[in-house]
Amino acid sequence: MDWFDLIVVGSGPGATFAAYGARGCRILVLDVGHDAPPSPELTGNAYELRRGETDLFPALIGEGFESLRNLWKRPISLKLKSPYMSYIVRDWERVAPVASESFEGAISLAKGGLANGWGAGVYRFTDRDLAGFPLTAAELRPYYDELTAHIGVSGANDDLTAYFERDEGLLPPLRLSDFFAELMGRYERLRPLFQREKTAIGRARLAVLTEPRNGRAAYDYGNLEFFRPHDPAIYTPAYTIDEMVRAGAIEYRSGHLVTRYRETEEGVEVHARNLATDATEVARGRKLLLGAGALNTARIVLESNGDYQTRLPALDNPMACIPFFRLARIGEPLAVHDTSLAQLNLVVEDAEWGEPLQASLYGATGPLRSDIVFSLPLSVRANLVWTKYLAPAMGLLMLFYPGRQSPESYVRLRPTGELEVQFAPEPPHQLERRLIRLLRKMGYVTHASLIQRPGSGAGLHYAGTLPMRAEPGRYEASAEGLLAGTRGVYIVDGAGFSRLPAKNLTFTIMANALRIGRRVGHRIGQQAP
Amino acid sequence: MADRAPSLAEEARYLHACLFRAPLDAVTVARYEAALEVGHALACPGAVNLSVVSKVVARSLDAEAVEFALRRLDLGRDLARRMQILCYLVEVQPAYFGEFVNVERSRGRAWAGLLGATLRSAWKLVKGEYLVRRHGLV
Repeated sequence: MDWFDLIVVGSGPGATFAAYGARGCRILVLDVGHDAPPSPELTGNAYELRRGETDLFPALIGEGFESLRNLWKRPISLKLKSPYMSYIVRDWERVAPVASESFEGAISLAKGGLANGWGAGVYRFTDRDLAGFPLTAAELRPYYDELTAHIGVSGANDDLTAYFERDEGLLPPLRLSDFFAELMGRYERLRPLFQREKTAIGRARLAVLTEPRNGRAAYDYGNLEFFRPHDPAIYTPAYTIDEMVRAGAIEYRSGHLVTRYRETEEGVEVHARNLATDATEVARGRKLLLGAGALNTARIVLESNGDYQTRLPALDNPMACIPFFRLARIGEPLAVHDTSLAQLNLVVEDAEWGEPLQASLYGATGPLRSDIVFSLPLSVRANLVWTKYLAPAMGLLMLFYPGRQSPESYVRLRPTGELEVQFAPEPPHQLERRLIRLLRKMGYVTHASLIQRPGSGAGLHYAGTLPMRAEPGRYEASAEGLLAGTRGVYIVDGAGFSRLPAKNLTFTIMANALRIGRRVGHRIGQQAP
Repeated sequence: MADRAPSLAEEARYLHACLFRAPLDAVTVARYEAALEVGHALACPGAVNLSVVSKVVARSLDAEAVEFALRRLDLGRDLARRMQILCYLVEVQPAYFGEFVNVERSRGRAWAGLLGATLRSAWKLVKGEYLVRRHGLV
């Protein structure tokens, strides 16, 4: 019978870097692990492809009309619905169902998880961000540094360094589009005003290569982020999984949905459904690292305890999306080389929240116009004209709010296997109007009536279902990630977050998982005969 | 007298003509039919009310105007959805690139286009509200 030192569940950022940290042990990774399909038509850049001769229907709409799914089903992120990207969320509604009237998020069963379709923002948590965690920024710093070297992070030490921490290992930042280069110039001229407003703008820090590294090419400004998976320049944990498989560091078993675990005298038994045969298979090992994502990890823990009553807390970052326009750019042609990645970040101190809030600034050239043309306030043909001329003159400020603890935000497992997921809605805040005033002072046109609020769970930053505490109670984890009441079950994904600041959590999931995986692996190494 | 239910191909050609100048090619018509099959399979039973779409096509009403008026009333989602399917299907074709993307620098043409489109939109709203009332589309 197979026996492993460690069994790791999942292949998202947490699971991947827990396994990476524990290399040297005998590691089994159990995962559903849908893989990215090849996308041979999508070479080059979006502009030239769409202007060329190729019929892009199979690549941009899909033979199964994948890009049209939001017309008929509960909407999901535009980045998760195109034919080659939809594998990221394939099957989750059937295999890992959620029961909710309002949930507009998604769960990924893909190799690499939701980070296959992420914005690649990588932000270090400061001690302010980690308030409530039983660990400090100094404890995480060596792991952030190691990750920066491993995955490649582009960005700059600029006005946002106080919020993102200094990082000497950064690659040069992405080249700004004309729209954002102009915005950055305006910010620099108005810096005293921004300082009075306790607001700063700087380059986005992204897990995107601007120089070749480890066999991966530099970013080519193809603007295909909504359609093409696995751009070699944009990091996904699937790369590290593949690397560990090639190196023989892990045994990776895809097609397995872990349903529950049971601790035994020797260690832990992990029960997984083989999705090809529908048979239950049992794997055995000394320790279990749960990294199936905050929602699915909670599902596994509740199922393992036969608990269909308890409501676990759940966090996500509510968002407000503020479009803004530079009228002087109306009539400009769309750039041939562009990006749909965040180009800038804005951080604002806000008295209401008592902590800094972060926004990412994007262009609006990546998605299909048809995604939005019926959401605008004029007739369809007029909307087509407006989107055509506004796209090069438009930016989107995506403001993240901290995840708020609330009795209305919870997960609970039903005996049917469905996970009830609820997130309390976030009301509008005065801060949005403050940002609108700042944008206007910079010369941009916008209005509060244009603000879009993605639905419940649409932030896709799920966290805090089994939080780390200094003195953990039931369904809480220790600072080492050990789930209370267990001898060897560790929480290595966002489930273990004690709180969720208004900052992308993925880099911290990776760093924390690397920390936990390395410590657990080290301990097993010490115990080895 | 009851309206004759138009075929999906007739519907596609008619709705397309209300939005774009070029004639609709046979491949896109076939894709439109296939998209609706997929949509019907995914839609909740009973959620599809085709009477508005059928009336618009059978009576050659201005689909853009009717859709706009119904959208303002938060009604007529089926008509909007079918027009949106057509938009998706043609947007990925090189022949329509210029309909969706501005490729040349021209501030004057852009502002004239925006002004014209906005004024035309106001007219479409008035016309759409009239057509909705006149033909009992709600």
